[in-house]
Formats: sequence, structure tokens, C-alpha cells
Amino acid sequence: MRRHASVGGAAAQLWAVLWSVLCALPFLLIILLAFKSNTDIFTDPLGVVDIRWSPGNFAEAWNGPEGGQGFALYLVNSAIVTVVALVGCVLLGAFTAYFASLASPRVRTAIIRGFLVATTMPLVMLLIQYYSAFNTLSLLSSPWALGVLYAALCLPTCVLILHGFYLGFPAELREAAAIDGLGIVRTFVRVVLPLSRGPIVAVALVNGFFVWGETQLAIVLLQDPTSRTIPVGLLDFQGQFSADTGAIFAGLTLATIPLVVVYLVFNRAVAKGVALGGVFR
Amino acid sequence: MSAPRAVSASGLAVEATSRARGRPGPLQRRTSRAVLVTLLPGIVALVLFFGVPIVELVRTSLSSWTGIGDEEFIGLRNFQQVLGDTAVLKALLNSVLLGTGSAIGICVLATILGALVSAGIRGSRVYRIVWFLPGIAPPSAVAVFWSLSVQPHSGAVNAVLGALGLGDTHAWLAQASTALYVVIAVAIWQGAGFAFLVILGAMEEVPVSAYEAAAIDGASPLRRFFSITLPLIRPVLSMVVLLEAIWAFNGFTLVWGMTKGGPGDATAILPVQVYKDAFQFGNFGPAAAIAVVGGVILLAFGFVGQWLGSRKAADE
Repeated sequence: MRRHASVGGAAAQLWAVLWSVLCALPFLLIILLAFKSNTDIFTDPLGVVDIRWSPGNFAEAWNGPEGGQGFALYLVNSAIVTVVALVGCVLLGAFTAYFASLASPRVRTAIIRGFLVATTMPLVMLLIQYYSAFNTLSLLSSPWALGVLYAALCLPTCVLILHGFYLGFPAELREAAAIDGLGIVRTFVRVVLPLSRGPIVAVALVNGFFVWGETQLAIVLLQDPTSRTIPVGLLDFQGQFSADTGAIFAGLTLATIPLVVVYLVFNRAVAKGVALGGVFR
Repeated sequence: MSAPRAVSASGLAVEATSRARGRPGPLQRRTSRAVLVTLLPGIVALVLFFGVPIVELVRTSLSSWTGIGDEEFIGLRNFQQVLGDTAVLKALLNSVLLGTGSAIGICVLATILGALVSAGIRGSRVYRIVWFLPGIAPPSAVAVFWSLSVQPHSGAVNAVLGALGLGDTHAWLAQASTALYVVIAVAIWQGAGFAFLVILGAMEEVPVSAYEAAAIDGASPLRRFFSITLPLIRPVLSMVVLLEAIWAFNGFTLVWGMTKGGPGDATAILPVQVYKDAFQFGNFGPAAAIAVVGGVILLAFGFVGQWLGSRKAADE
């Protein structure tokens, strides 16, 4: 410690530590409670001694309540939705962003404006029409179709972030590829895509967190209980397991801890994605 | 809950720099036909998934529709009904309270946190990572966790308060007078990390020389924060306030997961009202009208916010 560390410095450090505890403790608490029996959760939620450990909570969350669905199924649905959405939005987003950067300033500005407007559109204004379209096309309860919809919803963010990157893309590389006889699309696939791995990972992470946690559309468009994703499944758990809090906490653990691990591994790319203007909610 | 989006200021900045750069060359001045063709899929997606639904929404808001069969045009009757409905007005008020309350809370907290880290507090590399943790958890998990945690007796928050001798029987979510504040607190908990990262980014752009000059002049750290940092980050700060307010205004998941709009209609916000009207009661016309009203309010809010932001910038 520096000698002139003031009272203010100590107060600042105390504040920082307090907020850190408030940020991290809930995650630890979720894990702790996921291993406790229901009686212990009720009588002594914070205690760590003299506890009857109950790892069976995880089996319940994984298999779901009797006659219901559990995480085994939700996880598959979430995986389908996320993979479809990310592959779709990253590929089409990079493609559109790159070629927009080759367009004349007027065309480029018009396109970027269009995507900017799309990002300001609240989901609640789109919800009803998506429902009626899915209903007409018999796509309700299809995780695949929801994945495609998410890809379209994530497209504006992908385009806006990657467009900034491609504007600074060295023209020499493009020209060299043209001299080698590559067409513009093949140049994109062979030269541009491999060189944009960094920003693409950042964009994929930012959108991945959104898609993985999206609830409002999923709750409306995934009508069949067997088609639900993890966030919607968690809300179902809340009703079905109302007397079985341990199973709910096991579900919360399964829903959040893998994300925490991904975040801790990729936290630089996530921070970069946020800094580039990507936002997920 | 709303779609991921790019912070609009950065998009505009991209436009500005590309224009200023104004690279000449045959590729740039006119868009080749091949490039135009490659842009088509993106444009089609934009029109199909954003343009058409908005037009259709307005049409539905002017119709009577139960979810099946044909829509019947009834003019502005839905709007008349919706704007005279006390439940809708209550939801509007709740949305505004949730939006402003959490936006202000998030930004005050995030500014303090950003100031601590940019002042080089010890351990700031760890803090940067930890403070963003709540932001990555799925909102529905956050809602379920906190609603369980504020239960009387068994909830962790009550257990802590009980251990401190402050009583462990607080049933905040069951009381109409307190439920909305719990939702606002949780929204702040989850949203602060993102705002912190953005505000910290702006603080790190402030030139060191400005602080050095102030330090030579004998300005205290607190004084430096208020007379240098805060004015210089104001454009970013006002943008973050605006975005957070809009997101919270639309934040369906937290409210639905914690209270389903209750007790009574104490925490019902516009998206909850839309969801109930359309998908529980089958009144799609009025629901669409509520969505249109909410959208118009947000649009007006956004324009006023941007106008205030740009006017302030012009003043300086």
C-alpha cells in the first residue's frame, strides 16, 4: 500500500469489493443451493455446515417433473436455436457488411441507416406479427424456425459492427485477389472471411448471449412444451417445481454456469464486442 | 427484452469517418452491379423481418382479430378503447417508472464504478471481469433467482437481513407498493455491467494531459471528476441513459419472470399488457394498438433524447 493511501482510497476499495461480492455471490449461491435439500433451503439457505447434500436435484432438473420436460430436452432446443441463429447472422452479416463497404458512399449510407433503424425497433412491436406469420406457416413450436428468426433479428448488430471493421480492410488484399483472378464473392470467402475471425468471434459471442437468453419471442413462438428453450423452460420450472426449490436451483445452475465459463474464457472478446457497439439484452 | 443492437452513436461515427476519408476510385464512386446483387439478401431480410411486420402491426391495430380467421377493419376503435383503459394507463406509468428508475440507477452506479477503475484502483483487472457477470446471465434466470431470493424466510436476501437482526419476513414482491422497486433493483443489478464497460471506454478516451494540468493546478480528485471527466463523457453518458431507459421500458422478461405483472397490476408494463391481451385473451387488435402506442412513445423519447444530446454538444 502506498503511504498516502487516503480515507477516500479505502472507501473506494470497499465500495468496489462490495459491488464485486454482490455481482459474484448470486452465482455461488445458485450452485450451493442446487446441492441442498428443500428443507435445508427453507430453514438455512446460507449455511454450509450440517447440510444434507442433495445432488439428486440435478437429476430432477435434467429429467424434468413427471410427465414434463427437463433440461435434457431444453438444452437440445437451445443448441438448435443458437447454432442456426449464429451461423445465419454471422455469415449473412459479414457478407452484407463487407459488400456494403465496397458500395458507393450513398448506397452504403442508405443501407447502414436501414440497419440502424432496425436496431431501434422494440421486440414488442414485432411480436404479434411474427406470431401470426409463424401460425400461418405452421412454424409454431419449431426451434429451427425460431433460429432463423433470431438470425434475422441479430443481423443489424452484425452488419453494423462488422461494417466498421471492413471499412478499414486493406484494399491491397482485395486488389491482389482480383489480379489472381478471384471474383468478388470468392475473394470474400477465401481472403476476407479468414482475416476477420477476431471481429466475427466478438460478434458471435455478443449475439450468442442474446439468443441463448431470449425469452419474450420464445415464450410466444414455442407453444409445444417439448419445443421450449432453456430460458422458457426455467420459467416453466418455476410453476411446475414450486414445492421443489432445489430442482429450480439445479436448473438455474445448468442455465447460467456454462455461460459464466464461456464468458471467463472469452472475456476479452466479449468486452471487445461491447466496445465495438454490440449490446445484448 | 429486446433484440441485440449496435449503439447507434458508433454506427454514426462509422458513417462520418468513411465520408471524411472519401477514398476516390472507380469502386467507390459508383456501385457496381455485382456489389448491388450481393447486397440483396441483407436488404430482403431487413424488409421481410422488420419492414413488413411494422406495416402489418399498424394494420392489425386498426382491426378486430382474435388470432384466427380474417381481420376486420374497425378504424381507430382499438386506440379509443386502449387509451381509455385504466389498466393500460397503469402499465404505461409502470413502464415509465421502470425505464427512468433503472436507467438513472444504472448510470449513476456505472459512472461511479467506471471512475474507480479509470482512477487505477487496485484489482481493477479483476473488477472489469466480475462486474460484467450479471450482464451475461439469461434474464429469465436472473428473474427466477431474485424472485426466490426475496421470498420471506427462505430467500437469501431475507436470510441476510435476518442474520443482521433486520427481520426476515419482508415479502416485497407480494406487496403492490414495493414490487416494482424490486424489479428496478434487479434491472440495475443486471444492467450496470454493460453501462460500466461503455462509460469506462469513454473515460479512458479522456486525454491524460487534461488531468495532469488540473493536478498541477491543485484540483482534488473529486473536483477533477466533476469538472473534467463528467463533462467530457457526457455525450456517451446521455446515450447510455437513453438506451437503458428504452430497454427497461421494454423489459418483458424480468417482470414476467418475477411477478407476471402482479400483484394485481402493480408491475404490469406495456409489453406484459400486450402479451396478456394478445396471447392470453386473444384480443390481438387492442394488443397491437398498445404496441403501437408504446413504439410511438419510445420514438418520441428517442428523438427528444438525441435532440437534447446534440443541442448540449453544440453549446460547448
